Parts: sequence; structure tokens; C-alpha cells
Amino acid sequence: MHLDAKVHQYDFTVVSNERVGDGIFRLVISCPELASLILPGQFMNFRVPGDASHIVRIPLSFASSDAGTGTIELVYAAVGEGTRRLSLLEAGDGSDLLGPCGHGWNVRPGGRALCVAGGVGVPPVLAAARALVQAGRTVDVVLGAQTASRLWGETDALALGAGEVMVCTDDGSYGMRGFATIAVEKLFSANEYDLVVTCGPNVMMGAVARIAEDAGVECQASLERMMTCGFGACSTCNVAMRAGGYKACCMDGPVFDAKEVAW
Amino acid sequence: MVSDTVNMSVDLGGIKMKNPINTASGTFGNGWQFEGFYDVSTLGAITTKGCAAEPWDGNPAPRMCEVNSAIMNSVGLQNPGAHAFVETYGEYLAGLEGRGTRVIVQVAGHSLEEYARAVELFDELAPFASGFEINISCPNVSKGGAAMGATPKAAAEVMRAVRPLTSRPVVVKMAPHDVAEIGRALEAEGADALSLINTIPAMAIDVRTRRSRLSRATAGLSGPAIHNIAVRMVWECHNAVDIPLCGIGGVSSGADAAEFILAGATAVSVGTANLTDPTSAPRILSELEQWAESQGVRDINDLIGAAEC
Repeated sequence: MHLDAKVHQYDFTVVSNERVGDGIFRLVISCPELASLILPGQFMNFRVPGDASHIVRIPLSFASSDAGTGTIELVYAAVGEGTRRLSLLEAGDGSDLLGPCGHGWNVRPGGRALCVAGGVGVPPVLAAARALVQAGRTVDVVLGAQTASRLWGETDALALGAGEVMVCTDDGSYGMRGFATIAVEKLFSANEYDLVVTCGPNVMMGAVARIAEDAGVECQASLERMMTCGFGACSTCNVAMRAGGYKACCMDGPVFDAKEVAW
Repeated sequence: MVSDTVNMSVDLGGIKMKNPINTASGTFGNGWQFEGFYDVSTLGAITTKGCAAEPWDGNPAPRMCEVNSAIMNSVGLQNPGAHAFVETYGEYLAGLEGRGTRVIVQVAGHSLEEYARAVELFDELAPFASGFEINISCPNVSKGGAAMGATPKAAAEVMRAVRPLTSRPVVVKMAPHDVAEIGRALEAEGADALSLINTIPAMAIDVRTRRSRLSRATAGLSGPAIHNIAVRMVWECHNAVDIPLCGIGGVSSGADAAEFILAGATAVSVGTANLTDPTSAPRILSELEQWAESQGVRDINDLIGAAEC
């Protein structure tokens, strides 16, 4: 077996870090070497400077990367101490990250694809949608959020040249009222898909995976787990498999064939 | 990297290391991942992820949470079993030995029979191993693990079971309690070295849900928060036994490693820092060398147990 250590440590500089919603931030970093390497659905493990009592890195997937400018765009929710401190970084600040971590989306040409994102799952789903459009597919996008002020990505989804873009909020403050799965069911009855990609809360992904499986459609899901290293050394980010046993979210994922996951 | 002025090589119970820096089992995968960050052959030794004769699934998620200056884990010794371990990692590990870094294979079991079977298998399948570390202190398994090392008598029984099965050095990974008594019992049964400490059993509760933050009620605490507890235990154990010790616990700087050496450790393992800052181990080695130079010695062995306490 060939053991290929593909994760490296890179320094990065913050280009911008702005609030784009209630507790939602858009971070652009300059990291030229990684920007030309990283693939949609892969992630980075960020060291957030400033507090030695918090030793664990923050794993984040990204929305877009630009090899030309050497920049990577991320959107994250400030939910814990690490992401809160990340939100305090300003243009010109620097730190280091580990990447490219994990396996990204399996993007290939084909028929119509449905991209389903909930909450902080929006960035990697938009990265998948963009790659699928570039691969010549027609792509529909469903974006779900708790409430309008925590929604991000509609403008970006529309700019992709996606087929349909549907937005759902749990409280009905914007778009359709209810969970993203309602929009997914609606789109499934109207269109024929041969691929679904999804990232968001586990419950949502599990429901989307079931809809896809019942329809006999391939579904790729990007999972999130509590994670320490991000490069396969600690065995803490285990994902239970339907066939029994576990796989590592950081190395075997974060994108899994949804059929293989024990939801 | 290796100092011109200070001899950094040490002998951990027959495991001849070119410098005292080792890696703590479970925090270093099986080494190869770190080649993406630095040349792993700069280290004195690595200790592989605990492995049993047969595969273990480990515990459900979540297996990790962060607490103040530490993490807690409840991995539960997930491992592929001895055959798959050697098939997957053997070539890399043999190559690393060839590059001058000692490979210590950690062995796990649920019972005396399982420890014996695993040592027997690895002795046959892993000619690249410079030695074996017997893990009798994992806090995250229901059977075996820490229970096997909980008393001097239980620990001695494990050592007695595995000692005749290999002629290579056997290191025993100890739990964070009664280290003097248990250390003496292990020494009497022929342990070549002791490594301490394993993670400290701990608990973290989500006050909103009133549930454990991990899939088990308790888990192992590691990281900077436990360092000085570990230094005290190494010092107690050093005062009790004559065999060499490997100090483990929250090492994130050369000064942390130096504390272990002064407390009586011959080697020092970097643990959690490998996960949070993967280039830690070579940096700690370089800082340790600078410290040894600053102490005016020609040989780092002169500093082992040199704390004037």
C-alpha cells in the first residue's frame, strides 16, 4: 500500500474577514500554494492565534479558490470559542493551516444534479455546484437556514448559472418555510436527477440521503465531526458505516457515498 | 540537527535512540502522515498506535472534545489487527528503522491471553520493531486496558505473560496512579523500561443537555494541562525503579521535555502537540538540544534525574 502524506502546513494571510449575516462571516485568505492545489469538498485545519488555552484547530471547508490570485474564500458561523476568535482576525493578520485535508466531491459530467446545503454546509456545496456547472451539468441548488439573517449564498448560487435556486428557512422569514427536505422533495417530483450532493446538519443530510436512495440516485454527503488533527493521526473523527465499523471523516471523507453511512 | 557538542543519544531499556524524542501512541498515527510536515527520521523513536491481535472498532462518536489547555478522547483503541497493521504500515516502518529512527510497536489486549497473542504475533510479523510497548492503561475500553494495569499484581501478571514471548525490549505504558508500586512490580517481572503517563480519566458534561460531551461518560485527558502531574509521577517512579523511563504528558516545548529528563526520564514522548501542531516534535528536539548545551554538559544522559529537589 502506498502511503502518501499529502497534508502540509502552510502560512496564510487574511485578505478580508467580514460579517455577512447574524454570526456568519466571509473570510478570504491568501495562501497561493494551497489555492492551486485544493479541490472542492476538501478542507483546511486552521490554527487560530491568540489563546494558548485553546489548542485544537478549526476545520473549515471552503466556498471557492482562485489559483490566479492565490486566494481561498471561506464562510463560517462563529459558534464556538475558536470560530469566535477567528472572526476577530483582520486583514493582514496571519497564522497557519493544514491542508489540503480529505477527499472532496467526486465531480464528473452527467445529467441534472441537485445540490442541497443547510446552515454552515453552504460553502462546500457551492464549491461542488460550481464544479458541476463547469463539468457541463444542469445544477439546481437548495439552501436552508434557520432564519433569513443566517442565510448566506443565494447570490453566489444565482451567479453560478444554476438551474433553479430554492431557499428555505426554518421560521419562514425568507423563501419557503420549513426544512430543506421540503424543497428537495418538490424538485425530485419535477426533475430527473442522477446526482445529489449535500452538506449540512446530520439530520438533514440523512433525510436527503434517504430521498436520493429511494429514487435510486447517487448521493454524496460531506460530513462534519469533532476532529483533532485532520490528517489521519488521531482516530477521533469516526463515522459509523452501514456495513459496520468506522471510517475517518478526515481521511476517508469528509465526502462519503451517502449509501455507505449509517445515518 | 544532531548537536555537535552534546551527545543526545540515549538507551531506553535496549532501544538505542539517536535522541530522546519519541512520540506518544495514538497521537502520531503510524508515522507516515507526518512525513508531509517534516522528515520523521529526525526523531529518536516513534511509538505506533495501539494494536491488538484482532481488529477493534473502538468507541462511537463523538470521541474528542476540547477543554481548557487539554483535549479529552475516548477513541478506545480502534485498530486494524496485527496482520492488517503489518501489511499496511510494515514497509514504511521498516524504512523508518532503516533511516535510524527506532520503531516501538504498541500492543493492546482485553485479557492476558490477548496480550500474549498480540506480542507473539508482532514478534513474528514485525521484525522492524525495535521494541514493544504494552498498553495496560487505556482508560477508554471496558475490558482490559487500564484494568490490566490497575494494581501491582495485575500489571505484573501481564508482564509475566508477555516476557517469555519476545527477546526484544518491552516497555510498559502505565496509568497515572501508584506509579512507584506498579513500576517496581513491572521491573521485577522483567520490564526493560516504563512509559508514563497515559491519559488521565476525566469527565466533561454538556450542561445544556446534561449529557457527557463524549460517547462515554469518562474519557482520557491529555495536553498541556496534565504536564506537571506527569512530571511528578515520572519523578516518583524514577525514585522507585532502576529501569529507564519515557516521560509522557503535555510536552509542547523543549523546556517541558527538559523537565521530564530532570525528573528522571531517559526519553520523552510528544503527544497531543503532534495533533494540534504537527511540527512540534522536531522543534521540541531542537529546543531540547539548545537547553542541554546551555546546561554545559557533553552528554544529555548527565541530565537524567538531575533535578535538585
